[in-house]
Amino acid sequence: MKLMLKQVFGSGKFVIGFVIFLAILLTVVIYPIFVPDAPLKIISRGTFLSPGIYVNLYDSIDSATRYTLITDDAEARRVAGRLSDEDRAKMREWLIGNGVDEAEIDGADTAQLLDLWELNFDPTVRLPGMTNADRNYYIRLTASLEGLLSTEGATIASTNPETGALEQSDIVNQTDYVHVNEVANSRLFILGTDNFGRDVLTELISATGVSLTIGFVAGIVATSIGLVLGLVSGYVGGMVDQVIVFIMNLFTVIPTFVLLILISFSIGQESRGAFTIAVVIGLTSWVWTSRAVRAQVISLRNRDHVNLSKLSGHSIAYILAMDILPYIASYVVMALILQISSGILAEAGLSILGLGPRTTEVPTLGLMLNWAMIYQAHILNKWWAYLPIILVIALISFSMNLMNTGLDQVFNPALRD
Amino acid sequence: MKFTRFTIVALLLVALVAVSVAPAFAQDTLPRNETLYFNGQQWGSVVGWNPYSSNNNNAMAISQGDNARVLMFETPYLYNMLDGQVYPLLADGPFAWNDERTELTFSIKPAAHWSDGTPVTAADVAYTWATHVKYSTPTGAGNVDYIDDIVALDDSTVVVKAKLNDDGTAVNPLIVQAYVSSNYVIQMAWTQALEERVAEDATAFLADTAEDVVFSGPYYKFFTDDSKVILVRDDNYWGQDASMWGSLPVPKYLAHTIFKDNAAGTTALQAGEVDVSQQFNSNVQDLWLVDGLPISTYLPEAPYGIGASLPTAFFNLTGSSFGLDNLAVRKAIAIAVDYPTIIANAMTNQSATFDQVPRSLMNPTPGEQALYDQAAVADLQWAGNDIEGAKAILDEAGIVDTDGDGWRELDGQKLSYIATCPNGWSDWQAAIEVVAAAGAEIGIDITTNFPEWSVYQTVVTKSDAPLPEGYDIFMMWSAGAGPTQPWGRIRNLLSSEWLGMASNWSGNWGGYSNSEVDALIQAIPSVTDEAELKDMYTQLVDMYLTDIPSFTLMYRPQSFHTVNESVWTNFPYDGDGTEPPVPPLDLMDGWSVAGLYNLELVNP
Repeated sequence: MKLMLKQVFGSGKFVIGFVIFLAILLTVVIYPIFVPDAPLKIISRGTFLSPGIYVNLYDSIDSATRYTLITDDAEARRVAGRLSDEDRAKMREWLIGNGVDEAEIDGADTAQLLDLWELNFDPTVRLPGMTNADRNYYIRLTASLEGLLSTEGATIASTNPETGALEQSDIVNQTDYVHVNEVANSRLFILGTDNFGRDVLTELISATGVSLTIGFVAGIVATSIGLVLGLVSGYVGGMVDQVIVFIMNLFTVIPTFVLLILISFSIGQESRGAFTIAVVIGLTSWVWTSRAVRAQVISLRNRDHVNLSKLSGHSIAYILAMDILPYIASYVVMALILQISSGILAEAGLSILGLGPRTTEVPTLGLMLNWAMIYQAHILNKWWAYLPIILVIALISFSMNLMNTGLDQVFNPALRD
Repeated sequence: MKFTRFTIVALLLVALVAVSVAPAFAQDTLPRNETLYFNGQQWGSVVGWNPYSSNNNNAMAISQGDNARVLMFETPYLYNMLDGQVYPLLADGPFAWNDERTELTFSIKPAAHWSDGTPVTAADVAYTWATHVKYSTPTGAGNVDYIDDIVALDDSTVVVKAKLNDDGTAVNPLIVQAYVSSNYVIQMAWTQALEERVAEDATAFLADTAEDVVFSGPYYKFFTDDSKVILVRDDNYWGQDASMWGSLPVPKYLAHTIFKDNAAGTTALQAGEVDVSQQFNSNVQDLWLVDGLPISTYLPEAPYGIGASLPTAFFNLTGSSFGLDNLAVRKAIAIAVDYPTIIANAMTNQSATFDQVPRSLMNPTPGEQALYDQAAVADLQWAGNDIEGAKAILDEAGIVDTDGDGWRELDGQKLSYIATCPNGWSDWQAAIEVVAAAGAEIGIDITTNFPEWSVYQTVVTKSDAPLPEGYDIFMMWSAGAGPTQPWGRIRNLLSSEWLGMASNWSGNWGGYSNSEVDALIQAIPSVTDEAELKDMYTQLVDMYLTDIPSFTLMYRPQSFHTVNESVWTNFPYDGDGTEPPVPPLDLMDGWSVAGLYNLELVNP
């Protein structure tokens, strides 16, 4: 046993796969301890908030200490943030189109440009070739330019509950800063939020756990069925073998995924929990395992030690478990790993078609992809809503396939160095 | 003859290439500068062009109703959802009621003629109605209780006679009046030809694909297959007469590619392959704010369009949902729901909020909002997210968690519900998820379930028996903007006349019944005094918000209307100066067709 483990962990491929898989598994287990939020809690109003730190504006005004930082480029950045070069060019275009002398406009002089703009811009004027989209753009731009060059601070006022009048309570200067850690409320979204306004990272990690569970359940169901049928069919032979092979052939010719779609559809969404889906996946994907096991058993059943065991009067179950299974155990483990991996992929495939587990109960990787697709994340470039999920699926399959290949090299005599 | 085999192969190849290129050639030859492209209207291929049938699946040409689509067939009047008025199309001048409001008279424009050149006459209008009744079309069945007959006084004068009550008043003048802006006028001669062809067999009559149909509108069939529908302008269209539009509509072709789904439609809109988009594009503002595309909506800021209908969650009051007959439970759920999140996330802000337009039975248009006294019901208009208020209501009603499992019980039984809507209706599903989330906050167990539409619609529209398990809280639509609104919408939402119907496509699917409400709904169509109307509508809103048989989750536009101005411009927008204002209904429904005459090329 010790030797075997040493051999297995001597395989570089296996170790890399194992480490990746272990890292994923540990994240799934440890993350919820530090971030106990419910994975399906709707946290943002507005969909697809981009990744980053969100600082509470109200609290930052009330933050205990304000720091004054004198930076040279603060004003330039402030202006550039609201008035890009492209904006300047568009303003210039409008002004020229509206009869302002081209020589008069100095695009780089912000003050002059703003003066000219304030003097000339009229949202009701329609220049030739100007669209309503352009008009909306100029109106938005004009609104955002309000007070751009002001050097005054912003006044904070609150309503007096008795008189209803505004009373000045504070002034925020342009050089005021707060320390992010001193603001009472801020929130880090490493992977932004999704179409429901849920934290993608929290949801993703929870979904990975659920998908792994689905994979394990599906893999164990599939491998158990495949193993039992393969052992019995290969060892007993005769009529039993023919019947089982007939069933195997039936399942081989019907494409598994089509079968999976049909079964998922027919059980209806009411009863499609994550566990049900896992069992259904398992029930439709055992056939290759059973064929391979059967082939191996056939080659084993006439070995001397098996015949000896038979002569000793051992039961079929005993012989299968003690004399045959140990010889194919390594193969079964490898098959199990692949079954888990393909179970996860099958769930993702089903969910993308809207046939996965019902929503609201638990997130799964496939459901997250499904919702991201429905809300057109891929078209709107909201990469954080689908790319990390695809990466996780890829990593899980990759790590499992690596482990499988590693094991294969250790146990398969044909590949052994 | 050495090259015979080679020649045959070469010829075959040429033929193959010709066959495969020919259709592509046909579609690519539409000049971009003369073609206006749409999306979101047509799904699946066109079945037919028969204006009597409701199974044409021909969204571009045939859609009768409150805002009838008038590209190919025309109605006497055009409804304008922005000002609530009707404007004459085939009709000449406004219609007139007699003093008793039992007969409505209008005349046909002298200039109006069919595509075959013959004039549109009053006899066409009368024969269209007679045919609807004779073959029991949906139009006939829907109006036969309210319209007694439509007769032609002379070539141009039409009289619509209302069905009368025993006391000699019209049963429902509102529906009679709506008929003239909702239903097409179809040529008598063509109708008779069709009747002859099918030997007056009703099934064959409605199933006929009517490829030879005669029409009066500005566009007709150019090409259809399973990938697109193209209409072409009839340059002989009567409407270019000075008595109507004074010119032809600007685009020569109207084309609609049949997209696989919304995502494909959005991609085409982004690429400038679609000019007018009638589909839900989530986060539509990103198209111009982030992508910088020349795309705009009717309003420049949220809610981007004019809300017209009220997608609503119904409580099952048919007796099969334990505890929902208890007002405290209904009210607690309704006020606890986080509506701002529904609007921000499910609708991506493409709906007015309930702070902007407080809940009532009216849609957000100014015309409907003016129809009730907002101050009188202000106390009843909840804005949602009121968890503490909801808990207090339940506590007060004695509905508390007695066994400590975190869920409240009524008479010892745990309150547990399933909220549902059809699978794949993404914005509704997201909204229902938010409703379910509110349950957990107030100690009522609500889970979601999304059956397929085919199952869902059969269950929900069966109003002659209690709803089965799984339909405790379910979502359905309500009527949008139209000439009978808001009365028609209120009737659909609240009237008990739909109960007991085996197939109820009208409304009140939750099974609400209140005789006072019924009496008001019955009375309103005959009332013309504005103050009295306002008082009656206010009473209805009051009773609706008190009894809470259902609750509106969001406002939704009549049609989504997003335009890409890469090729065409001068689409309608709020404050565009058109008089009367052109509504944002994709340039084809009701008065919005006027927008087709205002279009300009960005680069002429």
